[in-house]
Amino acid sequence: MAMKVKNYDELSDIEIDTLREIGSIGTGNAATSLSQMLGCEVRITLPEVRIMGYNEAIDWIGGPEAITAGVLVGISGEINGIMLSVQPLEFVNLIMSHMLDKELTSYEQMEDLERSALIEIGNIMISTFINALSGLAGISVELSVPSMTVDMQGAILAVPMAEYGGQTDYLMTIGSNFMINNHKVPCRLLLSPDVRSLNYLLRKLGVEND
Amino acid sequence: MINGSKPVVVGIADMKIISGGKIITYALGSCIGICLYDSKLKLAALVHIMLPLNMETGRKNPLKYADTGIRETLKAMQLKGAMKSRITAKAAGGAKMFEVSGKGSLGNIGQRNIESVHAILKMEGIRLLAEDVGGSVARTLTFDADTGQAIIQSYGKPLKTI
Repeated sequence: MAMKVKNYDELSDIEIDTLREIGSIGTGNAATSLSQMLGCEVRITLPEVRIMGYNEAIDWIGGPEAITAGVLVGISGEINGIMLSVQPLEFVNLIMSHMLDKELTSYEQMEDLERSALIEIGNIMISTFINALSGLAGISVELSVPSMTVDMQGAILAVPMAEYGGQTDYLMTIGSNFMINNHKVPCRLLLSPDVRSLNYLLRKLGVEND
Repeated sequence: MINGSKPVVVGIADMKIISGGKIITYALGSCIGICLYDSKLKLAALVHIMLPLNMETGRKNPLKYADTGIRETLKAMQLKGAMKSRITAKAAGGAKMFEVSGKGSLGNIGQRNIESVHAILKMEGIRLLAEDVGGSVARTLTFDADTGQAIIQSYGKPLKTI
């Protein structure tokens, strides 16, 4: 039976719920690894699955021009996608104070050591998320070496948009914010699979495709 | 001339036309902002494209692509009285935001966008007066329809006028 490939905006409630569950388990595991690295309590806020138009997505992340750090990992193999860890300065400082005993007032003060620490944190959170996902779905994936930039967040979020822009007018993200020591710290972990991979993933997870 | 008024904002895969005043698009990463200008009429258009070539069957969103986006914009300007032979262009964007190792085209979109914009402008006979493209930083692009100047803002860099 030929299966119709569903675009992001055509997903059913059950499919969205399944993806939210994936997001919950993935970010939950990432929170655990972050907690171990920082030596403090890390929990996740309600995981979200969002399917947004481009300009809606830019509003949702907090406007185009705010400067933020982004760690990106490319996913290939049985599914293709991009995973981003978007790290506002507040989150960066939490990491810095725990790992390196210092705080920054702007990203411009960041040097190699700080950059390496952020890449490592982002990479571990992303890898933990993807390990949970591939375990649940029974698929094997490869991850690229993590890459980092500090720049306008609109341009960072536009990377997955442009990558899948030929297939869809929407950006899909699965992710969550974190609570660190009972304090909500904005740090988004965002998975953006391509359309075909999303359909494959849902089948592997055993969701009926009606 | 309207001084101090808010610039008209152009989103992603979007285009707007102004006659006099300023027009802006934010945070161009691999995307490119192309300003098309008829200096006699002070008529300026800014189109924010994301991808090099439109291969969609339905072509629902022409402004997302360099080829259909530029052509659509030229048409819209001509409807407002612009003469194609007078229209000139300035462009900014096409950066590579992340260095990603391994297979896949990830990270090459900016460069492909630059090449496509060059090719389409040439095909349409539009002179590209100036550009600020490539590199690895995001750009906010403002175009002044009164002066024909484009101002580029990047994080941690001085303003650049082209």
